[in-house]
Amino acid sequence: MKPNKKYGPYAMLVPTLGLLGIFFLYPLFVAARQSLYSWDLLTPPAYVGWSNYAALWQKGELARAFRNTLLYSSVVVAGSMALGLAFAVALDRPGKIVSFVRSAVFSAYVISWVAVALLFMWLLDRDAGLVSRLVRAVGLPARSWLGDPHVALYTLAAVSVWKITGYAMVIFLAGLQDIPPALHEAAALDGANRLVRFLRITWPLLRPSAVFVATTSLIMSFQAFDVVRIMTQGGPVHSTELFVYAIYEQIFMNLRVGRASALVVVYSGLILALTLLQLRAWRERRVA
Amino acid sequence: MSGRASRRSVVVGSLPLALLSACRSWEGPRGNRSRAAFWYSYGGKNREVLERLIGRFHGEQASTWIDATFQGDYFEALAKLRTSIAARAAPAMSHVVAEVVPYLAEAGVLEPLDGYPGASELDLIAGLAQGGSYSGGSERPLVAIPFNRSTPIMYMNGELLDRAGLGTPADWTELRHAAKELTRVRDGDKVWGFECPVSWWFWVAMVGAAGGKLVDDIGRVTLGGDAGVRALDFWQTLVHRDRVMRPPLGRDYNAWQVTMQDFLSGRSAIIWSSTAFLRYVEENARFPVRVAALPGDVKRSVPTGGTFFVLLRGAPEAEKRAAWEFLKWMVMPRQTIEWSTSTGYLPVAHSAVAELEASGYYVAHPSDRVALEQLESVEPWPWSPTLFRVQREIVDPLLEDAVIEGAGAADALETARREASAP
Repeated sequence: MKPNKKYGPYAMLVPTLGLLGIFFLYPLFVAARQSLYSWDLLTPPAYVGWSNYAALWQKGELARAFRNTLLYSSVVVAGSMALGLAFAVALDRPGKIVSFVRSAVFSAYVISWVAVALLFMWLLDRDAGLVSRLVRAVGLPARSWLGDPHVALYTLAAVSVWKITGYAMVIFLAGLQDIPPALHEAAALDGANRLVRFLRITWPLLRPSAVFVATTSLIMSFQAFDVVRIMTQGGPVHSTELFVYAIYEQIFMNLRVGRASALVVVYSGLILALTLLQLRAWRERRVA
Repeated sequence: MSGRASRRSVVVGSLPLALLSACRSWEGPRGNRSRAAFWYSYGGKNREVLERLIGRFHGEQASTWIDATFQGDYFEALAKLRTSIAARAAPAMSHVVAEVVPYLAEAGVLEPLDGYPGASELDLIAGLAQGGSYSGGSERPLVAIPFNRSTPIMYMNGELLDRAGLGTPADWTELRHAAKELTRVRDGDKVWGFECPVSWWFWVAMVGAAGGKLVDDIGRVTLGGDAGVRALDFWQTLVHRDRVMRPPLGRDYNAWQVTMQDFLSGRSAIIWSSTAFLRYVEENARFPVRVAALPGDVKRSVPTGGTFFVLLRGAPEAEKRAAWEFLKWMVMPRQTIEWSTSTGYLPVAHSAVAELEASGYYVAHPSDRVALEQLESVEPWPWSPTLFRVQREIVDPLLEDAVIEGAGAADALETARREASAP
């Protein structure tokens, strides 16, 4: 379609581009420039070139933030999708009890992160927490769920899965209710059992919902901060230091604006790379 | 629309504007006083006491009004303070931890106070004031006035100690023995013999007790040398070999809160914390609480803690003068007595201590005397602008790694020393 006025489409893009420029591109440019300086906000900045990146690399902070964030996001995305789908399939039927369970599962999503984090700190206490008592009751050794550096990240991921599973369930439920019942009836007449019907009808038709859930939960997991700030403050031994928390720690706790900015630049690059991969995957699927 | 209806709608429509205008012109009790912003980090009971004092200050004079705002814990407040300084929107007054004073002073953001009226006449206890809190502190311009000053002390559950037939541990060997005796599984729940936040302040106390100094005489960061290793090794022994110390969850003040909750709920028999919690512990413990100085090793030694009042150089002159009036009033005997007896912090003025002695307060409250007497074994902080960074970036992560993961104490401290010496 050809526009009436040559510059019309560009004029329409101006508000969005303006907001994007002011609130995203310009701050990113400032961060990129500051990442080349050593600055503590109080004394004059000193140009240090790439040393902030080098220091983050040599001290292993970059690799640690990268590894922790990817691991946390993988568990959160996979866990919330699997559980959300399981709940949606199980609860996609009428009935008062089913309706109550649906509301109960979704309610976790609307509770504030602070409340959830405080609740789970109490539940996960190594000695007196409900989880430890249950684990001991079945004869297994209880661990320090938040105090053991080898377990803490998975514990935070599990808490996040608990929190956002309700959201995934609602999206999957909407997707399930869009599938015409006639397809299932025809397949059943042809002799397809429940598993075959799920694999051949339900799952292919739920794919757009799955892509949406995967994308939004990935964004949520990459933005995770509250849960870390309240439950572990990045510890023990930096094992739960995710990218966003590492940036906060560098700028506000360690007084290092340059290193925090370097982390911001790398983090933006990481998100950009993931976005490009995702767009490519979508395009390939459309072409196929 | 009729003329009458139109007039009515104009009148009704103007009401909010008129109210807004009235609110703007009526300043309430603040009147035409000089005003100053004060950012503080006191939470819970301490906040209540501070607000009570500020209310009294406003009632006792009519020239100055303090706009006090809570800004989170010490570290959060410091982050906000730095940001506000960079944004040229700093408050006139705040309070900062001792380790950060040299850093802020050398950055030139603290107002020198020597020239303010009455600054040289403040009747402050030397060990808690700038002169005694820092090596060479008296040779520098006065930039910090003590208010909520503390030392680490040992809190003990008297009931558990009596049941185990134990007295107050006086040194590390006795503490280790007591922690072993007190660690038990009771009614299905584990009671830990000892608990202490794995953090800088307590490690510095142990380094001093083991005979070390953080910075040597020519200003090199040594982190205590062999004493630093010995201090770390003692913690590792309690956590990994004896399994009698619980390293609390969380970092910074979150770990302090967990330690205190564990003590009050009877899950830890002996803890190290600040004297600042004294009143809170006494009011909330459901068992007899005993308080003692930290056990020594080759000697007894503690750092001071808490914060100093500071004025920010970039604030308007009128605000700084108003803030100084408030600051001066706060460290007068009556206020420091009210503050210390209501919280557990140390009184910072000689005359306040003398008044408390004369009134028999310390006879009635012997626990309050513990921190006061411990001042004899205070080790001053080095006046080092990098100290805060050494704490946050190097020592705290090192302690966590060594105590929780069991990393070798000597190697870990050697690495830390190298990092501390790097630019």
